[in-house]
Amino acid sequence: MHTVWVRLNAVVFFGLTVLLGLSCLAGFSKIMHSQMHQPIIETLELQTLRSIKSHGGVDRALLSFNIDADMNPAFHWNVKQLFVYVVASYTTPSKEINNVVIWDTIIENIDSTKKKHIQQTNVFVKYALVDQGNELRGKDVTLKLMWDHMPITGFVYMDEQKNLDPSMSTFTLPSEYSSLK
Amino acid sequence: MFDKQVIELKKLWANKRQLLFQLLNLAMIVFSALMIWKALMCYTKSESPVVVVLSGSMEPAFQRGDILFLNNSVDQVGVGDVVVFKIKDRDIPIVHRILKVHEDSDGKVELLTKGDNNRVDDRGLYAPGQLWLEREDILGKCVGTLRYVGMVTIALNDYPVLKYVLVGMMGLFVLTSKEG
Repeated sequence: MHTVWVRLNAVVFFGLTVLLGLSCLAGFSKIMHSQMHQPIIETLELQTLRSIKSHGGVDRALLSFNIDADMNPAFHWNVKQLFVYVVASYTTPSKEINNVVIWDTIIENIDSTKKKHIQQTNVFVKYALVDQGNELRGKDVTLKLMWDHMPITGFVYMDEQKNLDPSMSTFTLPSEYSSLK
Repeated sequence: MFDKQVIELKKLWANKRQLLFQLLNLAMIVFSALMIWKALMCYTKSESPVVVVLSGSMEPAFQRGDILFLNNSVDQVGVGDVVVFKIKDRDIPIVHRILKVHEDSDGKVELLTKGDNNRVDDRGLYAPGQLWLEREDILGKCVGTLRYVGMVTIALNDYPVLKYVLVGMMGLFVLTSKEG
């Protein structure tokens, strides 16, 4: 009854239960934090439209944008990293909803306060704005900043910009293929 | 150290009523685990509600050995969601993030994914000629994570012998442990 095995089994099992319990507590501990502490987003606007071209049968636009977003409030001790990304949304006759990520970055919890405040001008897109067909010309495009809290343990939580005038982030693409030289 | 266990087993063999009781006990544990798994499948509408991350393509968000909880009862998956998807004719599902969403007026979506730690999108991983994922390819959206737990699964996969040793040991202990 009191063999080594029984004791070892009891200790390991109890240890695992405690760990699981603590993980659950950690997961629940900051569940309302993100609703109360929102990042401060000041700017997200088109800087330059470099080109819009037909690229192998599909329309492709290259552009750069300005961004000023202080992500510091979003961090708490159960956030391992923030995955921040800019989404371009538009509507075409054949596809009602088009959401395309054009830029993303990872901010880790160990990064400096300065790095958690994204403040850049004339950022060139990481992924080109490519349409599924050739219907990109003349469309209204809205940029939107979104982010994803990746927890150390617990729930994934996603959020997007609020309180920012959407007209600032909206622009119309030219109706003909064009490019800046 | 196993001597005692062997003696217990011999005693158990002599006492058929006790043996039956212990076997039922063992069956109870196995079936409870199975029931929990099946209940989770029902609740999340996903064929595998819990998956283990096997590659480093989502680092630093998810590392090898993390487990992810999936939910497939959501109607739509959106851009930026971390999803698990399966490619036709491939056994191992992949955990990556959605990069593009195109949806037509009928609600039919076409998706493109990419791993955070990969340089290019996933078109090279899809079936030959496949450009887009569809909703049916998605096994679930990641809603939560727990670290290191999946290391056990990885170890069991890498060393299959360990599987039999572990199951054998557990069976032996359940059979020979006396309650109270």
